[in-house]
Amino acid sequence: MSDHKEVLFGLYDDEEIMMDAIRVANKEHLEIEDVFTPFPVHGLDHLLHLSESRLHIAGFVYGAMGTLTAFLFMSWVFTRDWPIIFGGKPYWSVPAFIPITFELTVLFASIGMVVSYYTVNGLAPGVENPYLHDRITDDKFCIAFKTNGASSQDVGKMKDFLSRTGASLIDSKII
Amino acid sequence: MDKFKFEGGQRTLFLGMIAVGLVSMVLTFFADDALHTRFWTNYLHNTIFFLGISFALLFAYCAFTLAYAGWFVNFKRIWEAYAQFLLVALILMLPLIGGLWMGYHHLYHWNVPEDVATDPVLYGKSGFLNKWWYTLGTLIVVGVWYLCASRIRSLSLAEDNGGGASNNFAEYASIKKWSGILMFFGAFSSAAMIWQWLMSLDAHWYSTMYAWYSTASFFVAGLSLTIITIIYLKGKGYLETLDGNHLHDIGKYLFAFSIFWTYLWFDQYMLIWYANNGEETVYFQTRIQQYPVLFYGNLLINFVMPFFVLMRNSVKRKHGIMMFAAIILFFGHWWDVFMMVKPGALHTAHEALAQGHGGGHGHEAGFTPGFTLPGLLEIGTFIGFLGLFMYVGFSHLSRAALTPANDPYLQESMHHEVI
Repeated sequence: MSDHKEVLFGLYDDEEIMMDAIRVANKEHLEIEDVFTPFPVHGLDHLLHLSESRLHIAGFVYGAMGTLTAFLFMSWVFTRDWPIIFGGKPYWSVPAFIPITFELTVLFASIGMVVSYYTVNGLAPGVENPYLHDRITDDKFCIAFKTNGASSQDVGKMKDFLSRTGASLIDSKII
Repeated sequence: MDKFKFEGGQRTLFLGMIAVGLVSMVLTFFADDALHTRFWTNYLHNTIFFLGISFALLFAYCAFTLAYAGWFVNFKRIWEAYAQFLLVALILMLPLIGGLWMGYHHLYHWNVPEDVATDPVLYGKSGFLNKWWYTLGTLIVVGVWYLCASRIRSLSLAEDNGGGASNNFAEYASIKKWSGILMFFGAFSSAAMIWQWLMSLDAHWYSTMYAWYSTASFFVAGLSLTIITIIYLKGKGYLETLDGNHLHDIGKYLFAFSIFWTYLWFDQYMLIWYANNGEETVYFQTRIQQYPVLFYGNLLINFVMPFFVLMRNSVKRKHGIMMFAAIILFFGHWWDVFMMVKPGALHTAHEALAQGHGGGHGHEAGFTPGFTLPGLLEIGTFIGFLGLFMYVGFSHLSRAALTPANDPYLQESMHHEVI
């Protein structure tokens, strides 16, 4: 059961209250496990000290692979494998390859990024994802702490923090 | 609020730049061929370049306004000020128009009645490519653009003085109305006028991508100038509410429209190449064979450079790299317009000169200073026009607060955040 998480969480009614709570947590050096909101909240990444996503670097690599695949494949087909003259143009007609090269770049980059994103986040069709509370996807803002192996004193501190900063509901769950 | 002060040092700098430009133009005029082709192409090139920038920025301003965009509000005064250059550009167009009637320049092949009478292609186009269309089109079209620009500007200033929320945002509603007029009118008229001004230099040639292509070029140049101005003003301590988030978004525009420009650059080439349009390939054949540095350099500066430099997310927030990229791109699109103007005009001039001297065919392909590549006189003329543009822009900028205090979207703009 080691991959299961014991989570203590509090629900807030408003994102401003939650943002203030995170500021307090940062000041008191409480380690927040994660924050869940029904919509993207401006400034949240910065407050949580999240580093920049590396997904776009992966996207560039996939795109470059698409560029090379399309261009080299077409070059091989039209010069080695099956050369055909189109409208009196040379076999190796670079301008004609550009649109397809562009499209394969976009295709590789987008599909690659989707697959990477899903893999990294453990998402797939049919996967059952644990959730803390129904209303996180509706109108509540949630701050969650990981309590695996935490002493009762620490848990008490977290609970105190949540109630102090205006959480309207405090609960714990094993996911 | 914060009001920009047009300092004496800046005035002196810009007046000095104008002086450099005037000296360059005089030198060009006297060190020129009999038709003064180099002088007139430089004049046309720079006039259209800065006219295009002020139009493109005005157009973007109107498009943003109509789309309820809020983020650009705290630097929109810069665009308003730069759009006022349209009046100066209209005055600068007058000598070109006069030359069509009095014949002191020989830029346009379609303006030679004997050739139009004997040449079926020119004759077929003479319903549109004639001096009446050119004259009235320029005066009316640029006149209406300037009317919209000045109305929007004065409404925006009226909003500062007791307008805005207390006046039920009446000025803002009027700005929207004028934006709609400019969008509708400008979208069609800009295409028609760029055919007249630049595309008809190659009078036999046409391309359906040309208007898009040149407008994209002007817009990228305008965005570059905006970024340069913003970073300069930030360095001087102005524009306090503008931060990395705004720069990031303008940087995205710069990146995206550089790619858009490349798309049009390539499409213009490919449509002609793919369709075997024999009579249209002459445009590219001339440029690739006789102006290779100009032609490929254009792609290198305006596509390869921004593609790799501006791609990273974090780069668009760094003042140094953005300034570098913006300066290169600004010059790069000046280079692009240079490539649109020069080869066609030189060809026209060569043919006219060869006829005047009794025969021979004026198609020599050798290096021609000021045509094959921009020379010092071209750079000097460019500096002169840039000085004029900046002088006009900054003096308009200094007449009102840099931040439109009563704009309904100001708060949204101040809290703009992108990740």
